[in-house]
Amino acid sequence: MAGIWFGVLVFALLMYVVLDGYDLGIGIASMFERDKASRDKMLEQVAQAWDGNESWLVLAALVLWAGYPTAFGAILPHAYLAVILMLFALGVRGVSVELASQTHDRALFEWTFGIGSLVAALAQGALLSSLASRVTLVDNAFSGSAFGAFGWFTFLVCALLVALYLSYGYAYMKWKSTGELRTRVARRGEITTAVTAMLAVAFFLALDNTDAPLNLDSAGRTVAFVVLLAAAGTGIAVAMWSLRPASTNDGRSFVGLAIATVAIAVAIVVGRYPTIVPGVPSVEDALSPDTTMWFLFVGIGINLPLIVFYTWFGHHAFRDKAYGTGARLPRSGR
Amino acid sequence: MDLLQLSRWQFALTVMFHMTFPAITVGLSVLLSFLYGMHWKTGNPVYLQMFRFWRRIFAVGFAIGVVAGIVITFQMGLNWGVYAAKTGPIIGPIIAMEVVTAFFVEAGFIGILIYGENRVSQRTMFAATVMVAIGTILSTTWILMANSWMQTPQGFANRHGRFEPTSWMHVIFNPSFMWRAPHMLVAVLISAGLFITGIGAYYLVKGRARLFAKSTVSIGLGVVAVLIPLQLFLGDSVAGAVLPRQPGKAGAMEGNWDTPNTGYVIFAIPDMSGQRDTVKISIPCLGSYISKDLSCDTGIPGLSQLVPNKNDQPNMTPVFWGFRAMWYASMVMFGIAFYATILRFRRKLWTARRFHRFLRWMVPLGILAILGGWVAAETGRQPFVVYGHLRTSAAVSHLASGQVLFSVIGFITLYAVMLGLYIAYIVHAVRAGPERDDPDWVAPDPALDVRPPRPEPAPVPSAVPVMRGGR
Ligand code: HDD
Ligand code: HEM
Ligand code: HEM
Repeated sequence: MAGIWFGVLVFALLMYVVLDGYDLGIGIASMFERDKASRDKMLEQVAQAWDGNESWLVLAALVLWAGYPTAFGAILPHAYLAVILMLFALGVRGVSVELASQTHDRALFEWTFGIGSLVAALAQGALLSSLASRVTLVDNAFSGSAFGAFGWFTFLVCALLVALYLSYGYAYMKWKSTGELRTRVARRGEITTAVTAMLAVAFFLALDNTDAPLNLDSAGRTVAFVVLLAAAGTGIAVAMWSLRPASTNDGRSFVGLAIATVAIAVAIVVGRYPTIVPGVPSVEDALSPDTTMWFLFVGIGINLPLIVFYTWFGHHAFRDKAYGTGARLPRSGR
Repeated sequence: MDLLQLSRWQFALTVMFHMTFPAITVGLSVLLSFLYGMHWKTGNPVYLQMFRFWRRIFAVGFAIGVVAGIVITFQMGLNWGVYAAKTGPIIGPIIAMEVVTAFFVEAGFIGILIYGENRVSQRTMFAATVMVAIGTILSTTWILMANSWMQTPQGFANRHGRFEPTSWMHVIFNPSFMWRAPHMLVAVLISAGLFITGIGAYYLVKGRARLFAKSTVSIGLGVVAVLIPLQLFLGDSVAGAVLPRQPGKAGAMEGNWDTPNTGYVIFAIPDMSGQRDTVKISIPCLGSYISKDLSCDTGIPGLSQLVPNKNDQPNMTPVFWGFRAMWYASMVMFGIAFYATILRFRRKLWTARRFHRFLRWMVPLGILAILGGWVAAETGRQPFVVYGHLRTSAAVSHLASGQVLFSVIGFITLYAVMLGLYIAYIVHAVRAGPERDDPDWVAPDPALDVRPPRPEPAPVPSAVPVMRGGR
């Protein structure tokens, strides 16, 4: 039961990273986009979808809280400053994108949208990196210091996450645009994907020097780990290949990146299970009582396919390249 | 201020900021689906005009509501880590259900609701508006379930140092949920009703967009007139379900200390350390009448009689004033509904200029009542977070105060800016007016006539100032 629920947690988190990854990435990328019309197109993509994408973050939080309450109550205070910064940034960018698409006066909100997206990505990097430093617990409750969770490793993970999100953003924009903008984002996407791959390698090398080294003692784990890394490599290769402006398979680069992300995440889980975060009780020990778990399996189990459907539907309704890019719908008055 | 005080302020400010937005958006989402449905069925352009206008106000409020809601979810773990670890097995699944049955529904269809016009079929549009409305209503229900369990907890056992559910039926159908959920739902509908009435009245006063204004005010006043009597009944039932179980809250709401009170205190400045009121104005016998005893004999005991131990008392001031804010607001609402109904029967509703002018001030009244109600309910539960079982002081995360001070200041700044922007945005949208949303509207300059395919203001000829908030 503990294992299955942990699978649900990883699923929700990965959905979040992939989906909000592209919209945070587009946000960051919009700061480097000089052409006003292209910037508008980028903003529209985010305006239609950010709310749904961020719901996956809320779901991940609740899956953690309901299933592993001790872990939820310990990890958040442990990473307090990073989480607070993330919340500020998500707030600023969410409201900015909405105001930018509802008012005339866009310049200010475009700018705060870009900065907010960047800070959110950095804060998430810091949050993620804090999971590799030991959480101090007394009586099952957090009792550590404010900066104990952060160090040199933080910078590496921040850089990795920003590069990854940018790659998602560019891959998604290539999928959803035409003409010059498509060529431009494809080129930039190739660069950020290459950087992501290098940073991911550095990440695995560095992980051994944190409080959360991988445990690959058994043969089974080692084999699984190697296979997963190979899958990640393949994903990156597919993404690089189909990000070439000449390639017409625009959706495939996004899928390639998603495969790489999933493979890397699962590889880390394989190397860490069952004590994922050092200091926090293991996945089995932190689990909620059976009465809670049954409620969750039934309630969330029935709804999970539905929410995947809503996510698909929301994106499907605007699937056309022309939709949301303003190609058919002249923007007025500016 | 110590860690506990800072954490409480941070949480209280966040929930109150969040609550401001559902107080409008839940009702507006229901209104939007009604309006789009009517437009679809009748083809009457005024419905489309109203739909577009209110969608504009709805969209930004919804976005701010969402980001503030995300903040609350995380704050439960950030600042109340011990609370989160202990209540997780009960509160966690309930809010998780809210996420999967409500948030995803809202989020999945809001994009279509806001950007879908002219891009998807009318049927899909209508379905999207209905789904969003269902989402917001479900959201209200689930969150009230979670909070009601904290007010009147049952159906659990204390094991492994946490609350473990033993009977979900008892957890879910706890004694206060059955009344608090409808009380809350009706509250948000009333507050949205007053909100649109006030804005509609503004156009009546200005003599702009008559048809739009009349339809809006009709709907708004109609909703308030039907729901306010129901709400008085529901409020009374909420009091019956909660107050016998929480004597401290009952005493604090009355504003009375050490003698049974047959009157009704209308003004008080409580003094916690002296256990008395510095100033107190009371209407004799009214309290007894409210308890359904016309002989003026039924007195409600004072706070220090009900809860002699000072450490177990809630702070009287916010409980008393929160409750009074809600109560006074209800009386005003009742008066409005009553007077408007009389005017309508005398066919004077559309000519009563002074009444229209008064109605403009009703825009924030419902929000005030809702915030007052929550302040009374939550501060009245103190010093417990799970009533009778977990003290707030034992639930707080052991953070460094400096960290929390930093985040409190950050949140205050952020909320102030967002609230300012939202108000500026509404003022701008209202000034610009619903004329541009009329499907038959023709721009005086044909070059400017781009029908909004999205709720994006086509430039209005009267040189309305563009929004300038946040500079
Ligand atoms: C009146 C009902 C009501 C109440 C009491 C609350 N909310 Fe709320 N919440 C809503 C009504 C609502 C809504 C109508 O569903 C929102 C508000 C506006 C909106 O945009 O959606 C929403 C949005 C919203 C979101 C974002 C949803 C998304 O991602 O789409 C979160 C995470 C929360 N809320 C969480 C909370 C928590 C933890 C609360 C407990 C204090 C809470 N809400 C009280
Ligand atoms: C949106 C509606 C809500 C409002 C306006 C609200 C308001 C408040 C206020 C003003 C406090 C501060 C009390 C004090 O410090 O004396 C408080 C405390 C608290 N509320 Fe609520 N509340 C709401 C909903 C909820 C819900 C649904 C939950 C849980 C599921 C909740 C959980 C808590 C907790 C854990 C505290 C204790 C922390 C503290 O004392 O500040 N609240 N709330
Ligand atoms: C005179 C009529 C009313 C009475 C007697 C009444 C009574 C109450 C009581 C006793 C509570 C506290 C419940 C608790 O401690 O858990 C409460 C809460 C609340 N009230 Fe009212 N109420 C009335 C009218 C209104 C109106 C008109 C509104 C809003 C438009 C409103 C909105 C709220 C809200 C939002 C809460 C907090 C949520 C809750 O605890 O359920 N009330 N009310």
